Amino acid sequence: MKRVLIADDSETILLLMRTRLELAGYTVDTASDGQEVTERVYETAPDLLLLDAMMPRKSGIEALRELRAAGYETPAVIVSAHQNPGDADAPTDLEIDGFITKPIDFDRLLSEIAVLTGAEV
Amino acid sequence: MIGVGRFIEKRQDFEDRIARSYQVEMAARVKVAQGVGGIAARQLVGREARHREELRDQISDDTRDTAILVAAGLIAGLTGALLLFSGLIATLRRPLEDLVDAAGRLAAGDLSTRVEVGGLSETATLGAAFNEMASQLEIEASQRELLDRLKDEFVLTASHELRSPLTSVQGFAELLMLERETLTPKQVETVEIILDNCNHLVRLLNDLLDLARSDAGRLSVRLRPTELPPLIDEVVRTMRAQTEGSHQALIEEIDPQLPTVEAEADRIRQILVNLITNAHEYSPEGANIEVKARVIGDEVEVSVTDDGPGIPETQLEHIFERFVRGDAGLTQRVGGTGLGLAISKSLVELHGGTIEVDSTVGSGSSFRFRLPLDGPALRPEAAA
Repeated sequence: MKRVLIADDSETILLLMRTRLELAGYTVDTASDGQEVTERVYETAPDLLLLDAMMPRKSGIEALRELRAAGYETPAVIVSAHQNPGDADAPTDLEIDGFITKPIDFDRLLSEIAVLTGAEV
Repeated sequence: MIGVGRFIEKRQDFEDRIARSYQVEMAARVKVAQGVGGIAARQLVGREARHREELRDQISDDTRDTAILVAAGLIAGLTGALLLFSGLIATLRRPLEDLVDAAGRLAAGDLSTRVEVGGLSETATLGAAFNEMASQLEIEASQRELLDRLKDEFVLTASHELRSPLTSVQGFAELLMLERETLTPKQVETVEIILDNCNHLVRLLNDLLDLARSDAGRLSVRLRPTELPPLIDEVVRTMRAQTEGSHQALIEEIDPQLPTVEAEADRIRQILVNLITNAHEYSPEGANIEVKARVIGDEVEVSVTDDGPGIPETQLEHIFERFVRGDAGLTQRVGGTGLGLAISKSLVELHGGTIEVDSTVGSGSSFRFRLPLDGPALRPEAAA
């Protein structure tokens, strides 16, 4: 079973995403900010990161930047409340494997996650 | 020549002398009549008459001289006045020309323009008033810029902040629908209404954001080589759920050999969804909607044609302006924001393309957009 680490500062959104992903057959771990992400990746060893672009303390972008700099290669999808990748959140110099906007199109998100994790859905 | 004052004096003198001459002549005539003066009295009458003739000639000469003098004086005066005036004009001209130049620069947008204040008090006052006006304009312009920026930030933040709760509402409603077999028909209908309204809110947010960006000149597209046929096909298949609900036929006619174009797939999808949604919402049940894609010259043309009610000519010319929507009678059930076509036009233009519409009342409308095969790079006017 593929494992996904989700980070969002909204409890409600975490619950929503966890429910949808678990229904689709993934094991889900959660984090409420970027700091927690950098701590939990090594402990949970996820197959995919699903990170909110903007979070207090440390954003998903900052966390991913740190992880990439440390040689961490697990695929990552950024979830943004902005409409476009160019709008603020996604820097072009960072290796991002997917960009999903809010409100989340779960059909699209789930098919992207399936491709990135190589899951059989 | 004599002066006017002296002329008047002299004339008085002449008239006295003429009067005296009459008295002398009359006295002489009395003597002649009484026969007491003899030859001497007769001679005196003739002499006085000749004397008066001379006096009168002299007066008319003096009058003429004086008239010439007066005319000459007038001419001299006028010339002096003109000279004085042209001097005045010269001192007025420079500051006025400066003002005209400055007004031109101000009109061209250089709000930092000021004029030198000096010279005659009138032009100095004018210059100071001009500078005051320019300062006021400059202050107002910078306040307007600030307001524009605040407005953009506000729209961006509001749209951003509204997205999270909207994600939850929509997401949990969708969760309910995943278990629709456990719901009653009434509950299904309720959840569908929630989802419809979520979609409408999302569209509204996206449109407002695009529009704010377009106004700020920050709407941009990320162009990549894009295969149009699968993209159009995907949109058509998604839209079919809606058109079939109205028993409308959504017909696809895509040239499978369509070459790759430089485009942002999401934006092309957005334009297509907008055009097909319009055709669907403004056409009656059972209408035909045709989506075509083909190569014309060095462009790809994508068209969405319907056999709906058509658009009156008066609306047609404003159709790509924001908040312009079709007939009020129809908009009752039309869910659009009135921004779709304005945004579609901006987006097509960012791709270096063009968008146009043909419509005949009673027989339908056709919206077509064209994208250049070689991308917008070779079309400098698309750089905006």
